[in-house]
Amino acid sequence: MTDLTGACILTGALLFAIGLAGFLARRNLITMFLATEVMFQGVILNLVGFGLRHGQLTGQAFALFLIVIAAVEAGLALGLVTLLFRRSGTLDAEAWSRMRG
Amino acid sequence: MNATLEQFGLAEAVRIAPLIPLLPLTAAVVIGLLGPRLLRGASHWPAILGVAGALGATLIVAAGILGAPDPAVFSRTWQLYSWIVPAEGLSFNVSFRIDPLTAVMLAAVCGIALTIVAYSRDYMRDHGRPARGYERFFAFLCLFVFSMCLLVLSGNFLLLYLGWEAVGLCSYLLIGFYYDRPSAAAAATKAFLVNRVGDFGFGLGILLIYLWVAPLAPGARDVLDYAVVFENIGRLEPWQTTTIALLLFCGAAGKSAQLPLHVWLPDAMEGPSPVSALIHAATMVTAGVYMVVRCGAVFAASPTAMNVVTAVGMATALFAATVAVAQYDMKRILAWSTISQLGLMFVAVGLGAADTAIYHLWTHAFFKALLFLGAGSVMHALGGVIDVRQLGGLRRIMPWTWGLFLTGALSLGGFPLLSGFYSKDEILHAAWDRHWGLGAAATLTAMLTAFYAFRMVFLAFHGRRRLPPELHPHESGPWMLLPMGVLALGAVFAGYLGVARDPHGFLGLVRPHDGFMQRFLLPVMAPFEGLHPHGMPVEKHEGGHLLMYVSAGLSMLSILAAFVLYRLRPWWAEAVRSSFAELHALLHRRYGIDELYERMLVRPLRRLAEGCRASDAGIDILVWLTASVPRGIGAVVRPFLDGSLQSYALTMTAGLVLLAAIVRLVG
Repeated sequence: MTDLTGACILTGALLFAIGLAGFLARRNLITMFLATEVMFQGVILNLVGFGLRHGQLTGQAFALFLIVIAAVEAGLALGLVTLLFRRSGTLDAEAWSRMRG
Repeated sequence: MNATLEQFGLAEAVRIAPLIPLLPLTAAVVIGLLGPRLLRGASHWPAILGVAGALGATLIVAAGILGAPDPAVFSRTWQLYSWIVPAEGLSFNVSFRIDPLTAVMLAAVCGIALTIVAYSRDYMRDHGRPARGYERFFAFLCLFVFSMCLLVLSGNFLLLYLGWEAVGLCSYLLIGFYYDRPSAAAAATKAFLVNRVGDFGFGLGILLIYLWVAPLAPGARDVLDYAVVFENIGRLEPWQTTTIALLLFCGAAGKSAQLPLHVWLPDAMEGPSPVSALIHAATMVTAGVYMVVRCGAVFAASPTAMNVVTAVGMATALFAATVAVAQYDMKRILAWSTISQLGLMFVAVGLGAADTAIYHLWTHAFFKALLFLGAGSVMHALGGVIDVRQLGGLRRIMPWTWGLFLTGALSLGGFPLLSGFYSKDEILHAAWDRHWGLGAAATLTAMLTAFYAFRMVFLAFHGRRRLPPELHPHESGPWMLLPMGVLALGAVFAGYLGVARDPHGFLGLVRPHDGFMQRFLLPVMAPFEGLHPHGMPVEKHEGGHLLMYVSAGLSMLSILAAFVLYRLRPWWAEAVRSSFAELHALLHRRYGIDELYERMLVRPLRRLAEGCRASDAGIDILVWLTASVPRGIGAVVRPFLDGSLQSYALTMTAGLVLLAAIVRLVG
């Protein structure tokens, strides 16, 4: 039981770190989007892990909700990426740097 | 009611009266709408037709009034419709007062307006082409005639006030006609503001009438109706009547340019000459005199107010006449002369000789309009030169203008047998009857009048040609000369309406005061009855003939003095001027009253305005400072938002790490 909890939280943290590193390092919009998805999965795993740790089902319930929301968000984000690509003809995130404040 | 009307013979008059203001209004609207696109150079036609129609209607109305056998009908008001109904049982009406006074005023307004509209046809042209704003000029002129007719016809104080303000507006618009000239724009503003001062008193007077008369006439629907007010004014306390009369006179002094509100009229000469002739000589400025006569019931009930009117009028008349002697601008000399003559009219009203005031108003309208048109003719021929020091010898170049101007000057100067002589003499007689000091002051004014009128004639039309050689003056065309001819006929013969034939009279010809005009005006002079012999029906003119001979002699003496000083021996005039240099400078500076107002009123007000602007700027700075705080923060933070998604994410991560570290350290 404890091992599973630890493994869950550790894997989650690892996934988040990988996602974050990928998001910071890459400039391709789709790759960046995939990196955020990876961070998402880390967060979900964390929720499950902490739920196990406290002996509650709330964490797992949240995880289910999050997966659904992540799916919706993925659809939205991909649509945005498509639009951005149509506008600028490239997937480079730097192409939109003129949106700076 | 119709049967009653037929009986009085006023039916036609009452039915036709609304046309008098409406025809010029229609003309104004037509020119305003069609002028700029369609009419352009023909814009004078609607104006001529509209004013001529109004004049025709006026004559019919006058005939109707003549045919009315019972003067009682003149003291009623003819209601056209209910204008404002603020509450049950209360209503302000559009109503007309149709009586001999109205008829005389309307005849003067429409008659003079017709000649001036015709004159403007050429005057407002530059070498045959319509000047800029040609349509605008005629539209405003018609609007003025409408407003003036409304003022004169109105049967209650509210409509009077409306007409009063409307003529003020037209005056403002026409003084500032050449609005791209700063002096004209300033003069228009000055006229408007000075009139505001007077009109404030006028408005207060009307409010007091409403407040004090309304409780006395509980049954009346229109409390401001002349008939209601004049019937009940006698039941007020004397101090109330005096207050109302003095406040009304405030308005009259503003409109008629009496001391101390006279400063706007000389500056108003910035407007085109026909405007000066119509508005600032013949009609609008006489509205003050008309109003005081119309409100005779109010003024005659207060001896104090009557004395104030006389005193202000006399002071203004003498003061303005002395100033006119030392001016050089032809139109300004005439403007000061107008102020002076209006002062004499007020003297007559104040003495109770109101019919004499209206008689002088009537003759003055003709000869003063003629003089202004003459000055305009000179100005038109010379491309705007109007300074008598630069003129001279115009008699040979512009013989017709010279002759007509001379007629006007003779009439103004009180040369025997001309209009101005008879009417001015009536005023002198009234003044001598009251007090020798008043008589002497009025006589001195009359002598100065003749003197400055002929000083102007001799300087401008006689002597050497002093014009700059590049100017090639020419005589004006028939469109300008014919209206002046009509006015010249008036300047000679209009006065004969106020005298009666009498083989034993003056020069074996006429007897003053028994004329058609006085008999015609008699019904409206009832309030003044008993104040002065001139206010009474057909009175023998005791001693009047002697005065006529004396004043004729003095007038000719003054003309002779001007002839000697400015024609025969110009160096004498120069010697007199330089030996009284300070006096001359004082007169030339108009006694420094403009400077005094500038120092006492204009500059402090301007300083107040500057203070307000400074405090406003202070508030602005505070607001700007407040706004600059977020702006400054933004300026510091803005470089971090460089638009690169990665750097945003990096900053966010760094922030998160920092936050986590703080939580860790603190927790």
